Amino acid sequence: MNTISLLKKPFGGKTGATIVLSTFLLTACAMAPETPPAALEVREKLTELQRNPEMARNARIELRDAEAAVELAEQPLDNDETALSDHRVYMADRMVEIARATGTTRQMEVERERMGEQRDAARLAARTREADAARADADSARSSEVAAAAMSAKEAEEMQRQIDELEAEATERGLVLTLGDVLFATGSAELQGGSNRNLEKLVDFLNKYPEKGVLIEGHTDNIGSAQFNQNLSLQRAESVRRYLIDHGVQSRRLNVSGLGLERPVASNESATGRQQNRRVEVIIEN
Amino acid sequence: MKYFSATFLNHRIPLLCTLALTSFLVACASAPLPPTDSLNAARDAIARAEQADARQYAGAELEEARAKLVMAEKAVAEEAMTEADRMAQQARVAAKLAVARTEAAKAAEINREMGRGADALDVEMDRQGEQK
Repeated sequence: MNTISLLKKPFGGKTGATIVLSTFLLTACAMAPETPPAALEVREKLTELQRNPEMARNARIELRDAEAAVELAEQPLDNDETALSDHRVYMADRMVEIARATGTTRQMEVERERMGEQRDAARLAARTREADAARADADSARSSEVAAAAMSAKEAEEMQRQIDELEAEATERGLVLTLGDVLFATGSAELQGGSNRNLEKLVDFLNKYPEKGVLIEGHTDNIGSAQFNQNLSLQRAESVRRYLIDHGVQSRRLNVSGLGLERPVASNESATGRQQNRRVEVIIEN
Repeated sequence: MKYFSATFLNHRIPLLCTLALTSFLVACASAPLPPTDSLNAARDAIARAEQADARQYAGAELEEARAKLVMAEKAVAEEAMTEADRMAQQARVAAKLAVARTEAAKAAEINREMGRGADALDVEMDRQGEQK
């Protein structure tokens, strides 16, 4: 109004009135057509989608079409054109929704690809694992063979060492260990007390190789009757057997025989020969 | 006014008749043409939606498209061609939305299925892993 009163002076009454009138008219023109409120709501939905980077990437064309439709819906229309306004808003709204659905679909396809890759990776990992396992199996099989071979070589070596330790003699019947008569008191079948190295070594050996059967044979010289010597030899063999059983060797592995004076290993003419003939032989089967 | 009209009518009847006839003819020629393109486009879009199994996945959208097409056809019968054109366009866009939502629903279904498959595979592989 200030402007108008200022303008009024230089132009005079008539011109001033015209300006006032035209100002009113212009204001009326500017006021009447306005953006439909429903279009603003659609714009809001569209903006939300456009700000979502995945949507913007996945539904580029659909969003562009929706943008055009929303811009059209936003155009101010006169009050008597509500039908057109409603139509434009409807179109814009559905196009925004189409963009949303399309973007969602593409997003899922991207995800699916990722899932597929993951699955492939998982499959590959599984296959790799299987292959590794198979290789490991093969490796371990090979190494166990090698180990077994090494073991048997080592075992054989160890056994030889044990045999050497026993001071046993390898014969056709097996390992023959000769226990001299020093073990027994003269005329007695009882083992001498105290520790006996040879018997201890024998126990160790038999316990180490529990599958081997053992024959224990008693022998004597020719002093005294054959019957006496046979009994004595058997009793001495029995004594050794009992000793072995007492030290953990299973009785069923042990066979005993008394051979008396039948198998001398040396001449009974000399004392040394007779001493050699008084013996218990332990035969360990091969 | 009355006097003017009377004199006008009295003196210019042939001219007036010509004018009236011309405008009538023009009106007849322009206004009542049905929006064939829009209607065809709408029908095509609905057919595509039906082929895409929209009935199953986006039934509401498909129904809306059909309803809009019915309104468009009704408007054509009433010779309200502008309305008919708008309704046909709306029917088309509604059918396209039905297709878009159907595709989204199918994609989601496939992904769920794949997820289950992947889970099963994981379980299977875990089982194999444990056996090793």
